[in-house]
This record gives sequence, C-alpha cells and structure tokens, in this order.
Amino acid sequence: MRASFVFSEVITGLRRNITMTIAMILTTAISLGLLGGGLLIVRLIDNTEKLYYDKVEVSVFLTNDVSASDGQCQQQICSGLRQSLDNNAIVEDVVYQNRDEAYARFKEIFAAQPELVKLTRPESLPASFRVKLKDPQRFDAISKEYTGKVGVLRVVDQDVLLNQLFEFFGSFRNATFAVALVQALAALLLISNTIQVSAFTRRTEVGIMRLVGATRWYTQLPFLIEAVVAGLTGAILALAGLFFAKGTFVDDVLKAPIEANIIAPLGYADVFQVSLLLFPIGAVISAITGYVTLRLYVRL
Amino acid sequence: MIRLEHVSKVYKTSTRPALDDVSVNVDKGEFVFLIGPSGSGKSTFLRLLLREEVPSKGTLVVADWNVGRLSRRRVPRLRQRIGCVFQDFRLLSNKTVAENVAFALEVIGKPRHTIKKVVPEVLELVGLEGKADRMPHELSGGEQQRVAIARAFVNRPLLLLADEPTGNLDPDTSQDIMLLLERINRTGTTVLMATHDHSIVDAMRRRVVELHLGKVVRDDARGVYGVGR
Repeated sequence: MRASFVFSEVITGLRRNITMTIAMILTTAISLGLLGGGLLIVRLIDNTEKLYYDKVEVSVFLTNDVSASDGQCQQQICSGLRQSLDNNAIVEDVVYQNRDEAYARFKEIFAAQPELVKLTRPESLPASFRVKLKDPQRFDAISKEYTGKVGVLRVVDQDVLLNQLFEFFGSFRNATFAVALVQALAALLLISNTIQVSAFTRRTEVGIMRLVGATRWYTQLPFLIEAVVAGLTGAILALAGLFFAKGTFVDDVLKAPIEANIIAPLGYADVFQVSLLLFPIGAVISAITGYVTLRLYVRL
Repeated sequence: MIRLEHVSKVYKTSTRPALDDVSVNVDKGEFVFLIGPSGSGKSTFLRLLLREEVPSKGTLVVADWNVGRLSRRRVPRLRQRIGCVFQDFRLLSNKTVAENVAFALEVIGKPRHTIKKVVPEVLELVGLEGKADRMPHELSGGEQQRVAIARAFVNRPLLLLADEPTGNLDPDTSQDIMLLLERINRTGTTVLMATHDHSIVDAMRRRVVELHLGKVVRDDARGVYGVGR
C-alpha cells in the first residue's frame, strides 16, 4: 500500500469540502467537549464524595433531660452510652458535644443570620455524640442499636443530607451527557454526510479505482482517514476548550465552594486525563461512522 | 480468454432478460467487435466480464477466473487483468496526462520506481510522448482517448474492453484510435470492442458478434456491420 498516495487523497478530500470539513470538526469538538465536561463532573463527584466520606459523621442526639442535667457526660446514662460507643467495633472515634458547645457551633454556622441566632436559645439545642464510623456505609447498624435507647433522642446520618447534594450533582452530570449525546448524534450525521459528499465529488476517481482493480480497502481508506482526522482534530479542539474553560471560568465559579471545602478541587491533571480519553473515543466513533456510511450509502 | 456458456442475465427491474442464453468463446489475442442496437445487451456483456454484475444463469470464465463464482475479495485481482476504455474518456481533470496514467498503478499499490519506468513507455506507445505534463483540457478528444487507452494498457492487461471508444470522435481521429487498438492487440492483448461505428467494423474485417434483444444473432469470423439487414 502506498501511504503517500493515500494521504495525498485524504488531503485533497478534506480541502475539497473545506466548509463541510470545518463544520464536521467543530460539531465533533463540541460533542467531545461536552462529553469531557460530563466526565469531569463525574470525577468531581467522586473526589467530593471521598472528601465528605472522610468527614462524615453520625450524630446521636441526647434527650432534653440528659442534655440539661449532664453537661460533662459524667452521669450513668450519658457515660454508659459513651462507653458503649467507644467499645463498638464499627466506631472509629466518638466526641461528646454538650449543649453549650452545640450552641457555640450553631452561632458559628449561622453567623450570617443573626436573627436566627438571636431567636435560638441554648436550651433548644440537644447535646450529642459525634460518631465517626470506620465504614461510613454502616450507619444502619448504629441507628438500629441506639435508636430508642434511654437518653437517646434520635440518631441522624449526615450521609442522607449529602446524598441530596450528590443527587444534584448527578442530575447536572446527566443533563451534560444528554446534551453531549444529541451533539454526538449531530456530529455522526455530519461525518456521514461529509463522507457521502466527499465520495460523490470523487466519484470519477472512485469509479476508476474500482475498474483498475483497487481493493475495497484501498478505495475506502482515504474516506475513513478523513473521518478519523476530523475526529482527532475535534478531540484536540475539545481538549483545548476544556483547558480554556477550566482556566477562565470554572476555577472562578468553584473557587468559593472549594475554599469552603464543600466540593473537591479539580486539577489540570484531571482535565488532562479526561481529555486523553476523548482521542480514542473521537477516532473510533468517526471511523465506525465512516465505515458504516461507506457500506450503506456509497458503492465502492 | 473469454468463455460464456448459456449465460443469461435478468435485472430485477426488468421482465425481459438483458442477455438470454448467450454462448461465446473468445481466444487469447483475438480482436472482436460486439455490435447491436441500443438495448441489445452489449453493456451488460461488458459489465459481466468486469464482474460489475453476476450472471443469473450459465458459466462465465475470463482468463482462468470463473467470474460468476468469484468472491468479492478476489474481484480486484480480475480487474487488474482487464483494461477498460469508454466513450467519455473518464480522465481526472485535476491530474496531468502522466498522473492520470500513473493513477491506475498507484491505486493497486505498484512501487514508485515501476510507475516512473512504465508510464513514459506507455505514453510513447500511444503517441503522447512530450505531452506528459499537459492537463486533459489542453488535449484534443483523440489525445484524451489515447490517455485513456494508455491508462487501460499500462498494467499490461490480458483483455482490453472498449465501450464505444470512437463514439465522441471524428472519422479521422477514430481511425487513429483503431490503429492504436490494433497495435495493442498485436502485443497479445485480447480486445473486445462494443461499437455502433459501421465504417470501422467494415474496414477492419475482424470477428463480429452481434447481439439483438439479448441473444447472439451472428458470430462472423471476419464480418462487417450490416450484413443481412
């Protein structure tokens, strides 16, 4: 096979349909960029989940009378619960937080809403045990064991609250993937259309190639390479777009929640790793689209 | 070289067969005219030889290939042994004369040094030495057909199929093209030419196979165009 001949055919083909080629590359770039964006959100969710799971706690709130009468957790009910939690095999760490400490933390959290702080009295906040589990997924075991015990008001898992946050992230990711899918469909149709136009404009060459005995593979290859070149160029643009987006506005938008430790930071290494996936995806999808188009619509 | 045994071809869209129980033998090195009115089956005959179509019935052998049973993968091998010339030349307008001829070798993967050697040789054979760098639109009709013949012959085919090669040319130029085809035939290449050109057939006095409504109605060893009509 003459590589130089095949590549000169590819360049001729791409140049002949320059506007179609540009449209094909841009659409591919946008769909790959959105796909990359979706993958980055998945990565962000994973990193954030890790961040939270490291900190996630179970709160065992104590009843009002225990909270009011035993500020240092020295009486039988409170110390008995602490001992039981300390000795529990699935518990990693237990911290007692009395009513005053709970009020101090409340004031800290709601410092921005002084009216709320003014309305809330220390007596309305229960004392609690902040329990860190060895495996955050084992909340059920703790809840079952301590709910209803004397002195226990209720057992709350922060994980439940987090799940709502992750559900929000998840729906954002799904929306991005949905747009990427529609874009990908448009890109596939455009690649298919460009190949058909390309084959039509080169019908004399293709006809002669068939007549003189060029193999089907030799005849198809320039068209397939054209599609793959478009896919790879789209991937390069998508990569550039993702880096540009991170550098210009994603970092700014996420700056505050990252500093507040609400979400995990997203590094250039994350963007680079995701972008590397876009190259094989772009190339393989373009090649398959090209091949199917040639089989179905173009007589070679 | 060519053997058709009771070959029929029926297209899906037609009720009448395009070729109907045709049996013809063409020996290596023969020069054969295929004549008949439009719709008589000449084009189908040529398309079957090229394996553009598959016979509906019968056996068709070209060189040693049983064309009807040839797998799709082996069709290019058959076509590499057959050269084709058409009425409309089918040259690539964006390539020079030499590039047009070289194209036929490039696309079958011939090495560059072979192409460099044989292209000037075949251009000389067809009388186009010195015009290698011209573009097709700079040539006369006759010269364009010479380029097409050079392209068809450059890979030294066993069989040359010519479909109305003089259809677009004036009588003098047609005469030159026929002399060229004769020259190629003298090198041992079998030539099968479909034509409507009475004067050429009458002047050359070669074998004539006449088709009418898909049947062979005449096969004369040294025939003329209009005998018995």
